[in-house]
Amino acid sequence: MTTPPGAVRSDLEQVFRRDYPRVLAVAARVLGSRDDADDVAQEVFLAFGRSAVPAGEAPGWLAVAAAHTALNHLRSGRRRAAREKAVADGVGRRDPAPDVAEAVVTRDERRRVRAALARLPRKQAVALVLRHSGLSYADVAAALDLSPGSVGTTVRRAESALRKELSNHAFTD
Amino acid sequence: MRSPTDRHPTDGTLRRLLDEPAGVADVDRDHVAGCPVCLRGLAAAREDAVTAATALSCETTPDVDLAWRRFSAATVASATGSAAARTPAPTRRRLFTLRSPVVAVLGLVVVLGGASAAAAGDWFQIFRTEQVVPVQVSVNDLVALPDLSNYGDLQVTSEPHVHAVADAAAAEQATGLRPPGVDRLPRGVTGEPSYTVGGQVTAEFTFSAEKAARAAATAGHSLPTPPPGLDGSRFRLVAGPGAAEIWSEGRSIPALAVVRLAAPTAYSSGAPFATARDYLLSLPGLPAHLADQLRGFTGAGTTLPLPVPAELATSSTADVNGHQATVLASRDRTVHGVVWVENGVVTGVAGLLGEDEVLAVARHVG
Repeated sequence: MTTPPGAVRSDLEQVFRRDYPRVLAVAARVLGSRDDADDVAQEVFLAFGRSAVPAGEAPGWLAVAAAHTALNHLRSGRRRAAREKAVADGVGRRDPAPDVAEAVVTRDERRRVRAALARLPRKQAVALVLRHSGLSYADVAAALDLSPGSVGTTVRRAESALRKELSNHAFTD
Repeated sequence: MRSPTDRHPTDGTLRRLLDEPAGVADVDRDHVAGCPVCLRGLAAAREDAVTAATALSCETTPDVDLAWRRFSAATVASATGSAAARTPAPTRRRLFTLRSPVVAVLGLVVVLGGASAAAAGDWFQIFRTEQVVPVQVSVNDLVALPDLSNYGDLQVTSEPHVHAVADAAAAEQATGLRPPGVDRLPRGVTGEPSYTVGGQVTAEFTFSAEKAARAAATAGHSLPTPPPGLDGSRFRLVAGPGAAEIWSEGRSIPALAVVRLAAPTAYSSGAPFATARDYLLSLPGLPAHLADQLRGFTGAGTTLPLPVPAELATSSTADVNGHQATVLASRDRTVHGVVWVENGVVTGVAGLLGEDEVLAVARHVG
């Protein structure tokens, strides 16, 4: 859905101010990093600014766009690698760790979670993130074109797969 | 009287029972309450949900005002392509993700070429920057600008490869531009500067009537019929090299930065350029008041438009050693900059300084 040329969204700032916290939270759950999440939020709102999404549908559209965009970044691996290197180099100033050991543990845990998320089927990953970002079953169903009844199944499968992934990797690490 | 069914609810129903019990049918709730199998399933679902919630937790305390300012600034920085040297890393990264406005504004530079002569045959210069003039825009204007790649093929044929160098001599060797010497630093600016250089950027745009028609149809509009000869016309945009001398003092916005850049030029391979300009200005994606401003200085093909977002900055003019300069000021008056063109070189001075201070530096750079 694209804004017809010349039709500037007059509600861009209003929607940004209303929905930025949720968009940031959705992206942060995927990426595990506030800085990277902010980058994704900026991309999402730029796309929204160019779109003709009705204002009433904006919250759902933005949440789904944030999840997809963040997962795309996650799967590209580039941001994750850059961020982890920055943390390893002690450059991640916004996310200071009290000591090196804690920083390493946190980094490993985050990496495992991100890797597990990246391996989930896309619909499961999005449903999982949206649900844990506070969207209702009806909202998730509408956003992903699912029946409300199947949202629970999708989220349940995602959580089960995530737990197994984390358990397996914790065991093998 | 309702009685629990023997059918076990699905895992999805058990999962919803944790979050939205009111959304689960009474018959299923009653069944679960009395079914050891389902209660075990419910406990497992709860455990996995808690694990997922913990794994996905990430503390975010949003600062919406700051985020909106960043969004505005990143959009503007992308559109002007000028702030890379003085913005923090996250914003620099966004320059790559918000490249469409850059493309659009480069396209406007072509529009502003405005040379009345029609090109024929080989590339020839249709635009050279002799002065910089501010164009009032809003952040919404920049977001709404059409992406030039919707109307043809855009190829960046030479990237700038911006990188730091050791000193002024290395900067001159890399770019052929002598970094400006600053005789006397403003009060509060101390220490030695760092040097950053970038090579020449060249891009070629080939107009495609078919692509333009497709983009218009997708957006539910019909474009004006392209004038004869425009389809397949090529335009070459050239800017740089450039060198920056920066006194950062550890801040994301430098205390002082002086930038020199070989002025942008544009060339055409054969389009009747005035016709192309008029056509591009008639595209429905260009905000009308912006198009009106651009039409105002399409005469000699020597004026580079500098988009100035009204929400963030104001502009005025001043004299720098006989050259008309554009002075920019952030709305909170903490950051000032001045930019002017001299002998085919664009020079900019900016920083956390007052207007008098940037003008004093500008008038004495060597």
